[in-house]
Amino acid sequence: MAGTNPAMTLESVGLENHWHESRGLFGPNLPVPMDYYLQQLAIGLSLGMVYALMAIGFTLIFGVLNVVNFAHGEVYTVGAFAGLVVISAFAPPLIVVLLVVVAVGALAGVGLERIAFKPFRRFSDEASLKSRAMREATLMSSLAVSIVVREAVEIGFGSQFQTVPLDRLLNSPISLGPVTIVSGDVIILVVAALMLGGLQYVLKRTNVGLSIRAVSSNPLGAKYVGINTDRTIIWTFAVGSMMGAAAGILVGLYYGAIFPSMGFIPGIKAFVAMVMGGLSSIPGAVICALILGFSESIATIFVPSVWADMVAYGFLIVTLIFFPRGIFGGARDRV
Amino acid sequence: MALLEVRDLHVSMGVQEILHGIDIDLGEGEIVAMLGANGVGKTTLMRALSGIYRVRSGTITLAGEDITNAPSHTIVARGLCQAPEGRQIFATMSVRENLVLGGGPQGLARLDEVLPLFPILGERMGQAAGSLSGGEQQMLCIARALMRSPRVLLLDEPSLGLAPKLVKLIFDLVAQIRQQGVSILIVEQNARGALRVADRAAVMEGGCVVLAGPAAELASDPRIVEAYLGGHVAG
Ligand SMILES: Nc1ncnc2c1ncn2[C@@H]1O[C@H](COP(=O)(O)OP(=O)(O)OP(=O)(O)O)[C@@H](O)[C@H]1O
Ligand SMILES: [Mg+2]
Repeated sequence: MAGTNPAMTLESVGLENHWHESRGLFGPNLPVPMDYYLQQLAIGLSLGMVYALMAIGFTLIFGVLNVVNFAHGEVYTVGAFAGLVVISAFAPPLIVVLLVVVAVGALAGVGLERIAFKPFRRFSDEASLKSRAMREATLMSSLAVSIVVREAVEIGFGSQFQTVPLDRLLNSPISLGPVTIVSGDVIILVVAALMLGGLQYVLKRTNVGLSIRAVSSNPLGAKYVGINTDRTIIWTFAVGSMMGAAAGILVGLYYGAIFPSMGFIPGIKAFVAMVMGGLSSIPGAVICALILGFSESIATIFVPSVWADMVAYGFLIVTLIFFPRGIFGGARDRV
Repeated sequence: MALLEVRDLHVSMGVQEILHGIDIDLGEGEIVAMLGANGVGKTTLMRALSGIYRVRSGTITLAGEDITNAPSHTIVARGLCQAPEGRQIFATMSVRENLVLGGGPQGLARLDEVLPLFPILGERMGQAAGSLSGGEQQMLCIARALMRSPRVLLLDEPSLGLAPKLVKLIFDLVAQIRQQGVSILIVEQNARGALRVADRAAVMEGGCVVLAGPAAELASDPRIVEAYLGGHVAG
């Protein structure tokens, strides 16, 4: 998909260079200092957390609808741009930026559901619910929305990297003994952990969360207990998109790389994490996202930049061939 | 006027009409049994009543309010709940969570009234619903429907696939639930058990009601005895 759009490919590579600034530092024959491993593990943790935030959106939506939302990467992009606009206009503290971005993400998710998914749910008899044509239709419609959004952002802001005010970049160094990380690593870790914790609370303790899990577990059963499934689906998109949008602005401020097609690569990585985790398991997706983040950041010690992406694709292929139901196997709580 | 009134109900799947004009009355505190062979449209009727399938024509009235083609969640909120065919419990969630979901906005408020009917569930609250035995799952399915304090309870083949002892237990439960003031429409293949607890009964064939009357009368009707009770009228 990326190969058909040269601009996007270039930018994707640009993003990759930012993701792994220090990749390929050590040749295959040079000894790697221990500290460097620790440092890469710290980076891998924040990378994995970002993938996890993204993967949760995919997973929640797959759980309730059994479809992949191809516009999820654009929610990430929209989150980053919304944050940038707010920063340029009002320069509020980071926490305010995050709250605005989360709200914009929720709205984007609701709009996306309305435009790309709802119209294909008019037919509620079993035959159309199970039909592949229905599912493929929403794949296409969400892909269409993602293209429109990306192009619209490009028309509005240009395709180049946006200028992020230097003082807003999350890159103040923090020394932890021999290891030096940046403030962004800590912020991403804290924000992502809070959001994951909040999500667990919502899913286990609130009516909305229980409804989301019920629809994921048995959509027909959900109707029999009187759950408004349409409204539950809208909530699912809102919650999933909040996480995606937050990931977008965090990464944007971490690397200073905000551009229209920035959501593509993280979208792919999150998709891989979801598939590895078994498609509809949130714990599975989070664990696999972390594995992916660690593997990629460790891989950059040994292989040049272009190859580190292969880690994700390699995982995907291995998963599909050897663990078609995800690496943690089948029966478990969906979502 | 009956609590639940169904008039000339037609339901189609695609171009095929499955129900060709069904009439049912379910009075306050009454148990009505719906009998019929496989594939005559019993489940289709139940699904239409719960708002899962769209009705092509005809009306469904609950306590004087028209609920024809209302969304399923509205129908449940109005007090018509179902323990559906195939149970449709939330297998990956705990028994407690299933009951909370059954309670809807009331949550577990009715637990103290429902649980005494299903003592076995009380011991399984934290267990995943999918790990229950078939009989326990059926109990959970009925308990879940009762959590919303329904006025009308629909039961679609509650005895399906259960051992004779459990079948008897289920029919006893049906009678007990009626004691709590719930009106019940029960679909059954087990005609003997259903006719024993029901006040009135109807027989469906090919998407139509072909026979209806007091349960005791149907239980001795030679056509019923031969087709559904597997025998001849004694004497
Ligand atoms: N979603 C559907 N799409 C197409 N046909 C359907 C659908 N649901 C039911 N039918 C058809 O409607 C007819 C009645 O089915 P229904 O499930 O209502 O029968 P039933 O009386 O409940 O049978 P059983 O006793 O086996 O449960 C069957 O011929 C079935 O094939
Ligand atoms: Mg049936």
